[in-house]
Parts: sequence; structure tokens; C-alpha cells
Amino acid sequence: MTRQEIEREIKNIFQREFEIENPGFDDDLREKYEFDSIDAIELLLEIERMLGSELTQEEKKQAMDIRTINQICDYIERIIQTRSKAA
Amino acid sequence: MERRVVITAASAITPIGHGKKQITENLLAGKSGIIPLREDALVNRFIHSRVYGTIDYPIEYDFKRSHRKTMGPVAYYACQAAKEVLEESGLPQDFITSGKLGVSFSSIHGSPTVQRDIYRIFFHAKDKAEYQNIGAVEYLKSMVHTTAVNITKMFGITGRVISSATACTTGSQAIGFGYETIKYGLQEAMLCGAADEYDTTTVAVFDNLLACSTAFNNEPHRTPRPFDKLRDGLVVGEGSGALMLEDYEFAKKRGARILGEVIGFACNNNGGDLILPNLAGITQTLKLGAENAKINPQDVDLISAHATATKMGDIIEAQAIGAVFGDNPYVIGLKSYIGHTMAACGAIETIMTLYMMEDGFIAPTINLEEIDERCAMIKHVQKVLSQPVKTAAIQNFAFGGVNTILLIRKLA
Repeated sequence: MTRQEIEREIKNIFQREFEIENPGFDDDLREKYEFDSIDAIELLLEIERMLGSELTQEEKKQAMDIRTINQICDYIERIIQTRSKAA
Repeated sequence: MERRVVITAASAITPIGHGKKQITENLLAGKSGIIPLREDALVNRFIHSRVYGTIDYPIEYDFKRSHRKTMGPVAYYACQAAKEVLEESGLPQDFITSGKLGVSFSSIHGSPTVQRDIYRIFFHAKDKAEYQNIGAVEYLKSMVHTTAVNITKMFGITGRVISSATACTTGSQAIGFGYETIKYGLQEAMLCGAADEYDTTTVAVFDNLLACSTAFNNEPHRTPRPFDKLRDGLVVGEGSGALMLEDYEFAKKRGARILGEVIGFACNNNGGDLILPNLAGITQTLKLGAENAKINPQDVDLISAHATATKMGDIIEAQAIGAVFGDNPYVIGLKSYIGHTMAACGAIETIMTLYMMEDGFIAPTINLEEIDERCAMIKHVQKVLSQPVKTAAIQNFAFGGVNTILLIRKLA
């Protein structure tokens, strides 16, 4: 997946699942949209669906400090890279 | 120092309407909110009782997603009633979030609808993806204090939280414990109440105990029949009731509209059987209530009886009322309109009593056509009375042998 595709898909997820329309890439999701730990867990399930594979417990824990759309996209890119290297 | 406690706002969602206007109109019209049990594709095909006190009208909710995500049906009812009460109270936003306002709210066991979904996954999950659907959200929707904490979250309330779940005395305890919290100076105000959602497992429990009404399945509006010769059991219902309780001096100072004063509360236990009504236990509750309110029992004008319309429960309650209050107060069974709304009954019945107190009438016990002679020692009401009410008692009794009485008074 390209960065652009990841960004597009994440924005779709935010609109569809969290009713957050077109968030800014560097908006603090917690501050601006009340995106909380419950939403974060739900987002991880959506990311697993997007990647077509399960995240490890360690990978999930790494996501807990994420605050912005850009950080989410960085996180997904990192996972894709790690997995392609491992493959 | 003991402080006086007043009620400054109240709202209810009930099988006979939402809010004071609808509820009062239907009380005056003698309208029943009992309709046929809904199909649920679960156990209800086995249930003998085919009636339910149902909220079958639309309610317009405008809760945002960040709130909706942790709410099951019971929390929707609770938060809507709480929202209306906060608006009606006129309490300013800075007070609501100051820590001086607490919440005393509960339900009998959270959201059974969500619990059923959890157990469906628990017993039938085929893979990890399905297992992952048991998440924090499901717990937050189904836990027993889901109503109280969804209210605190939605309105930013930071004071005490009490969420006592004692079956049919949940709502009356919520008000009673809220009253005591203010009375003894622990909070300035308490948002109190209870809710329960449509749930056939509750019907199944009472049905298997032979405590549900079955003889009027084809004429739902004719049951339940508190104190009537033909009564054949309770009818389960759903709903929500919320009240704002405040320190009297605080309410007076801010110019709040005062609907009534809570003058007493008592709660005890039968200390034995967890199901059967107990004359000694209930009689003692009523005596303790009058003592707590520092009134002569003869001063009570109106009693909203628990009156579920079970064979023994109504007789025991009538005997207890007769023993403590005599035949002076009018006695009504409001479940005849709405069924037994479980956790919510104490809150809803208190609110209905307040409405009658405010408007100067007493709604009759509907379906009370021929008084059971074993319940005849008290003053029943069989038609609408235009009658001022100064002091009223609201009685509720629960599985587990828990008994409560609340006493409220109209301010002069």
C-alpha cells in the first residue's frame, strides 16, 4: 500500500466508524475529537482488517501513544515494512 | 447538621408517556401502557405471560457518537431523563462540573441486550475475530453502573457516584441514598434515578416463579390489577425516571423551582427469605420511614404502594399499611398503568406522585374493579380524585428481602 492509499483508507475509517469527517493530519485526535482508548482499540481492529492480518500484542501496545492521523499512517507503514522484510 | 433536601426537577420515560404532560394526561385518562409481549426469537415462545409495559413510541435522542459508543438501551433511557432533569433544574454548567453534584443512578443489571450479545459470542465464537468483539465497549454498556457513569461522562459530572442495584428497590434506594448524601452534607445536589430496558429474561424469571400475569394475555390493558380480586400477577415493564435533589438552602438561594421536599427515607431487610413478602419486615420499614421523616403516620395523605398485583404481595402490603398508617391515607398502585418497571419503579412512581401533588389530584388504581376483601382494610382509590396531597409515601420492595419507603412533602 502506498502512503496515499493508507491515508485515504484511514480517513474512510474515521468517517465510517467514528463519525469524524476529514480530520487534519496533525490534529490531536483526543483533544479535538474526543478519540479515546476505546476508539483506539476499535481502530486497531480496523487496521487488522485493512492489513488482512492480526497485529501482535507488542504491535498493539506500540499504538497506544498515537495522537494524530499522520502518526497512525506512520505506524501502518512501519508494520507493512517490517512484515515485508520478514517475508 | 442535617440539611433539608428538595426536588427541583423530574422527568420520566414510561409506558404511558414521556414527560409530565403525557404522563399526567394518561393518569387522568386511566390509560394503560401494557401491550402484547414482543417476539424476540429467544425464550419468549416459552413464556406464559404475553404482556409487557412497553415504551412503544419514538424518542428523539441527539447524543453524539463519543457518548453513544458506551451506551446500551438502558443508558439511552437514563441519559435522556437525566438530560431533561439537568435542563429543567437550571443548574449552571460550572456547578454541574464542580464536584458538588453527584449521581445516584442504577438499573437491575446493566443492559441485558448487550449481555446477550456478549454471551452469544462467548458460547458461539468460531474464530479470534469474533472473540475480539467482546471488548471494553461491551462491558461499559452492560455493567451494572452503566447508567450512572454514562450520565457522568455525558454531562461532565465529577461528584460522588452511587449505583446501588437491588432489583425493584434500585430506584427508591437511588433517591434515598441521594437524599442522605445531601442531608448529611456530602454533596450540594444529587441527580438520582433508575432505568431498565425491555428484557424478556426478567419476564422469564417471574413467569417461572408463577408470579406473572397470564389471565389477560388477550386484553393486556386489563392487567396488572393491584388489590383486585382477579389479580393474577405482575407485568414486567421498562422505563426511566430521574430527579434532581438539592440542599434546600442552596435551591432557595438560587431561586430554583421546588417541586417537593424529601422528608424521610428508610430501608431494611427481611433477614430471611429472599423472595416471599414479609409482613414484619415491611411493617418495620413503614414505621422506620415515619420515624425518619419525624411525622405522625396519620399525616400521610397518599401512599403509592409497591402493589405488583401478586396474590400474596398485595395482601401483605395492605396489612402493613393498615397497621402503620391506618385507613387515613389514600392508597394507589401505579403499576396498574405501567407494569413493574423493575429498577425504575421507585423513581417513576415518585415522579408520578410528585406530578399528582403538584397538580392536586390522585390517580386511581386502574383495573381495581372488585377489591379483594383481604386488602380492604386500606383506603383504595377507584376513580380520579381532585384532592390536594401534602405528604406522600412511596413504597417499594425487592427480591432479596429489601424494603424501602420514601416520604415526600409539598412545600407550603
